[in-house]
Amino acid sequence: MGGEPAYTFKLFGLMFDWTNVISVSVVCIIIFLVIFGLSRKVQMKPKGGQNILEWMIDFTNGIVRGQMPASKARQYNFFAFVLFIFIIVSNELGLILQVGWNGHELVRSPTADPIITLTLSLTVMTVAHFAGVAERGAKGYFKAFVSPMAILLPINLFEEVGNFLTLGLRLFGNIFAGELLLKLLAELAFSHGALTVIVALPLEIIWQGFSIFIGAIQAYVFVTLSSLYISRKITEE
Amino acid sequence: MFEQVVLAQSNSLYIGDMLFYILAFVVLMLVIKKFAWKPIVKMMQDREKKVASDIDDAERSRKEANQLAQKRQVELQNSRQEAVGIIKDAKQDGETRRTQIVETAQNDAQVLKETAQKDAQQARQDALKGAQNDLANLSVDIASKIIGKELNAVDHKALIDSYIEGLGKNES
Repeated sequence: MGGEPAYTFKLFGLMFDWTNVISVSVVCIIIFLVIFGLSRKVQMKPKGGQNILEWMIDFTNGIVRGQMPASKARQYNFFAFVLFIFIIVSNELGLILQVGWNGHELVRSPTADPIITLTLSLTVMTVAHFAGVAERGAKGYFKAFVSPMAILLPINLFEEVGNFLTLGLRLFGNIFAGELLLKLLAELAFSHGALTVIVALPLEIIWQGFSIFIGAIQAYVFVTLSSLYISRKITEE
Repeated sequence: MFEQVVLAQSNSLYIGDMLFYILAFVVLMLVIKKFAWKPIVKMMQDREKKVASDIDDAERSRKEANQLAQKRQVELQNSRQEAVGIIKDAKQDGETRRTQIVETAQNDAQVLKETAQKDAQQARQDALKGAQNDLANLSVDIASKIIGKELNAVDHKALIDSYIEGLGKNES
């Protein structure tokens, strides 16, 4: 991070950033390999990996069920599951693996970039609004903006924008801050030889542990709030 | 720092990143759905159904077992009563048979005794008769020898008979 220029390339007139592209690809590959490995030999009496996967599915299903009626929760279970596993792996990736090459970062937590967290929250908001129209019809959907009173319309609109921004920036802020501090501690460790290494190493370890915790909590919060926003769109208030 | 790191460096928003990210997310969703979600969720639902049906089955078989136990209880009661009846019948049978046998034996003994008595009576009477005749003849002989006169044996016999008859009556 710091002052180096971003490592970008242009394709079809669009700007791409190597760091994000590579990190997201790594996250996708890791998730696919883990999930694929865990879901082999599915059987009635679960064993090993299947147990873990079923536990994760039950966990995300529980998050969704906690926010909306059971009849509607079913169709958002899968979305919540992928979202959760995607964010949690993204959050933890940078704690385990940070690769730099030629002065550029290539692999880190993708969620330490606001573009990416805002993309995620935009996806969630799109799903929520789309589900709102699909579930309650255009009339019911627009009516929600002027309820309980027409005068609250600006506040309601502002709230939608606020939801979108806070959802993405909360995740970004937590993960970005965690990684930044990790980097500063690493710089500190190598600044004055062996003495600073001894001082910085325990701090680094403690902060890494804390960041793992924060990464998991933020993934949970993100999925919970996503289901809440979807739920608020598809149910009558 | 935020500006410096993310936006200012390229002076343009990474729209490409957003598209790439959404694309990656969608592809990941599809792949996970195909390889993991569908089989796992299907299996979870199957298991749910199986557990429910197993519980129902257990309930049903418990009821059946209860019914069977009750039936067995009733049947046991019945067979016990039956056994008691059979034993009672057998006892009665035995009792009647015993009395019958005893009665028959008594009757037989009675008949035997009577026959024996009759026989004895007959023998005694025969012997008495024989003795009578002998005695008569003897007395006739003695008399004829004593008085030398041929006594009419027949008259004499009648005389002695009457006498002995009197004896027999006194005896009994």
